[in-house]
Parts: sequence; structure tokens; C-alpha cells
Amino acid sequence: MASNAAVPFWRAAGMTYITYSNICANLVRNCLKEPYKTEVLSREKVHFSVSKWVDGKPQKPTLRSDTPEA
Amino acid sequence: MAMAALRREGRRLATVISPQPITALRASLVYEEQAPLGVRSISTQVVRNRMKSVKNIQKITKAMKMVAASKLRAIQVRAENSRGLWQPFTALLGDTPSVDVKKNVIVTISSDKGLCGGINSTSVKISKALHKINSGPEKESKYVVLGEKAKAQLIRDSKKHIEIIFTELQKNPLNYTQVSVLADDILKNVEYDALRIVFNKFHSVVSFLPTTFTVLSPEIVEREAESGGSLGDLDSYEIEGGETKAEILQNLTEFQFSCVLFNAVLENACSEQGARMSAMDSSSRNAGEMLDRLTLTYNRTRQASITTELIEIISGASALEG
Repeated sequence: MASNAAVPFWRAAGMTYITYSNICANLVRNCLKEPYKTEVLSREKVHFSVSKWVDGKPQKPTLRSDTPEA
Repeated sequence: MAMAALRREGRRLATVISPQPITALRASLVYEEQAPLGVRSISTQVVRNRMKSVKNIQKITKAMKMVAASKLRAIQVRAENSRGLWQPFTALLGDTPSVDVKKNVIVTISSDKGLCGGINSTSVKISKALHKINSGPEKESKYVVLGEKAKAQLIRDSKKHIEIIFTELQKNPLNYTQVSVLADDILKNVEYDALRIVFNKFHSVVSFLPTTFTVLSPEIVEREAESGGSLGDLDSYEIEGGETKAEILQNLTEFQFSCVLFNAVLENACSEQGARMSAMDSSSRNAGEMLDRLTLTYNRTRQASITTELIEIISGASALEG
């Protein structure tokens, strides 16, 4: 369990467990061989738009697209 | 509507025949484009147009039903597979919808598109009820909204309590990476003691249950575990590695939230397609019924006008003979 020692570090970098596990999952995906690799990587696309609300008013919506690690 | 038009036509004929005040006559002249004054038979043009449009609507709803059915099949498998993700968490941490905490965040899941029956209004209704239960002098609850439709409904009267809105989720097929990034965004941007996810759980094509799932923050999990109850036997688990229990719990709740959200989004998408399928099915059936009725009216009027014409011809001929 080499990852145990890493826990405080990614926490300190402001990452949640979800981000951390996503990065790990992406690493594993990158280890696949070719026909499967592109298929798997193209499957995991991120696309949604976020708008925060402050005091009952919507702020400008931001688009999160194809940036799994952002 | 076509029936009403026919009735109006009939009334127009009556007003033309009987001498009436000029104002009434002018009001009836509005319908003059369809048939010029003095034409004996009733125009069937309106009914024919109406029939054509109903037929086209029926075609569209049938096509939409087909699309929904094929999408449903794809997504149903994934939703059912994703159920395995939250079951271990429920076994470990339990589901405690009745937990009483200060900061509640209600995650309402809805669809982006309409024409899918009442699934969005049910999840909004449940969210509003949860909001009512969980707001008080010392408590506060906020909404996090997924999807256009719940947004449109919640903006009307709960503007102040909306925290974040997510839309355009289903542009690509739903996948775990997307939902986990989304869950990450929620976790980073709201303070919570308990996250309550509201969604429609898919049972079958015609039935879906509005469901809530509660994810507690690590501190609350610890508090609940100390006070006993369903979380009481959490201490009997052994922790491997050098991490403390608090760290483990924080990782666990974060992961639990993303998994549960993933399942909830899939289940809701599945229910959406199912609801759309049955809604489109019933609307194409309704269009068929309407078409039948219209055809009946149309044929009757046509026959009546033919009969009238025949009578006129025959009586005219017999008048000449006699």
C-alpha cells in the first residue's frame, strides 16, 4: 500500500478523494493497450454547465467540458 | 376545436338567414375567409386541415416513443449495474433519512428535456417537502439543482435557497468521470452536514419511485456512531494502514457521495426515458382517438351536404316536370 503515505499530500493540495481517485483511474486507463485505450478514454467525457447562485440571483454559467482533471 | 368551428359555421348560416341586428352579423362575418357569403354547404376545409395536423402530431409522438424506447434499453442496463455501487455503502454506513442536522443540502435531480410526464414535478415536490422539514430557526437547507426542469420549477418560489445549478448533463452518455467531477464541484462549493439526494428510482417502464438518499458528513457520521443506532457497529471495523478514522471517514463519504450521485443520475435518466415512453404512447393513442372522431364528423358532414344537394337536384327536376 504505497498510496497510504500519499494521503496527506493530495489532501494538502486541495484535492478531494474523488479527484484523487479520478486521477488514479485515468492512469490505469492510460495503461491499456491500443484498441481498448481510445475506446475507454473517449467514453469518459465530461460535459456540463455550472451556475452558482448568490442571494437568489444566478451568476454567469461556466461550462465544464472534457477537462476531467480541472 | 374542429367541432366548435363547425358549430360556428352553422350559426353563421343561421344569422344570415334570420334578420338580426347588424352587430351580430358583423361578428359572424369574421369567419368569412373560409366560405364566402351565401354558400350553401358547410366547408369541410377546417376539419380536413385539423385531421392532417393531428395525423402529423401522431407521427411525431410515435417517433419520439421509439427513440425513448431505444435510449431506455441502453441506459437501463447501466442503471441496474450501477446499483451495486451504493449497496456496500448502505451496508456499511446505513441510510439515515431522518437524521437531524444543521446544514442540509438537497440535491434535486431532474431532466433537461420535457415531455416526460410528472417525474420532474415529483422530485421537486419531494425536495420542497424535505426543505420544509429541514428548515427551522437553527437549521438551514439549500438546493443544489441538476437539470433544467427542476430549475424552472424551483426558481419560482425558492430562489433564495438555490446554491448551485448544473445543466447539460446528458450531452454525452452519462459516465462516472463526469458525475464524479460534478460531485466534486458540489462538495467543494457547499458546506454540508447532510446531503440529501432526491431522484426517481427506476422500477419499470411505467413505475418509478421518488427516492431520497442521505449522505452524511464525516463529523456527523462520527457523532451518530458514538450515539449508537444503525451506525453503532462502525467501530468494530479494523482500519488498515496509518490513517486515522477521521481521514478514512472523509474519504469514504466523498466516495460515497459520488457513487450514490452516479447511481441517482442514471436511475433518474432511466426513469425519464421510461416516463417519456409511456407519455408518448398515451399521446399517440389520444391522437388516434381524436383522428377517429374527426373522421366521423368529417364523413357525416360530407354525407349531409351530398344528401342536401341530391334533394335539391331532385326537387328541382320534379318541379320542372310537374
